[in-house]
Amino acid sequence: MEKEQYQQLEQNVTPKPPYIKNIAKAFFVGGLICTIGQAVSLFYIIFFNFTEATAGNPTVATMVFFAMLLTGLGLYKRIGQFAGAGSSVPVTGFGNAVISAAIEHRSEGLVLGVGGNLFKLAGSVVLFGVVAAFFVALIKYIFVMIGVVSW
Amino acid sequence: MTLPLLVVLLLNGCAEKEKFIVYGPSQNGSEVEALIKEEDYVERSTVIHYDDSMLVAVQIKPWEKWKKTKLEKKLQKKFDEKYPNKDVFVSADYKIFYEANKIKKDQIEDNKLSDKIKELKELAKEKT
Repeated sequence: MEKEQYQQLEQNVTPKPPYIKNIAKAFFVGGLICTIGQAVSLFYIIFFNFTEATAGNPTVATMVFFAMLLTGLGLYKRIGQFAGAGSSVPVTGFGNAVISAAIEHRSEGLVLGVGGNLFKLAGSVVLFGVVAAFFVALIKYIFVMIGVVSW
Repeated sequence: MTLPLLVVLLLNGCAEKEKFIVYGPSQNGSEVEALIKEEDYVERSTVIHYDDSMLVAVQIKPWEKWKKTKLEKKLQKKFDEKYPNKDVFVSADYKIFYEANKIKKDQIEDNKLSDKIKELKELAKEKT
């Protein structure tokens, strides 16, 4: 069998992924997570001394905490299977990545297992986040120096 | 069945609320209201008068929120020009708006009011 023939055969056999359905699922579950985040943010604004500008930090921490709790209880993987990117793109996906790595390497010990592998998946998020923030700030600094925009 | 009913009830709740509120002893309440109504990006506002100062809490329409800081500064400038001998503080933050409405609802007295306003001003300047 030729290589092209095999590829042809493979393409005929492989079921077509339901793109539209997956996109709709991700859209609604991602939207639901963001709605919960907005509710948490409003909770901090109304019941504590946080403004719209400062409520972001505790909200992110709370959402990550919720995701960590759900991961530990084994519920987040079900959400992930159902919604795909809808559950991993919001900040809750970060909490899930941290805790699932910790659970996976628990048997290797507390320091070298959990401690060493905690940021195995989430480390790249932190690294690229910091690098991207640096470059965005640099570009904005240059724009401010030229005088196009102001801080 | 219950969902449409709920939506109707929610919408009714929104329609009944006063959109532009001026609270406190003031001679130029309607003037301030007209001044804010001129700006078509303001959705709702609550103004608190006390002594020689004014707290202007506004909520900006959804699509205009991208330019929130700029519009806030614009409104502040407008009020500063209009009332040069008054200490005006403009904020588009939801927290300030919420607390301003609470002041109106609870009818807080003058001696507590200035402390409360001072606290809100400090809160609005906080960055982290």
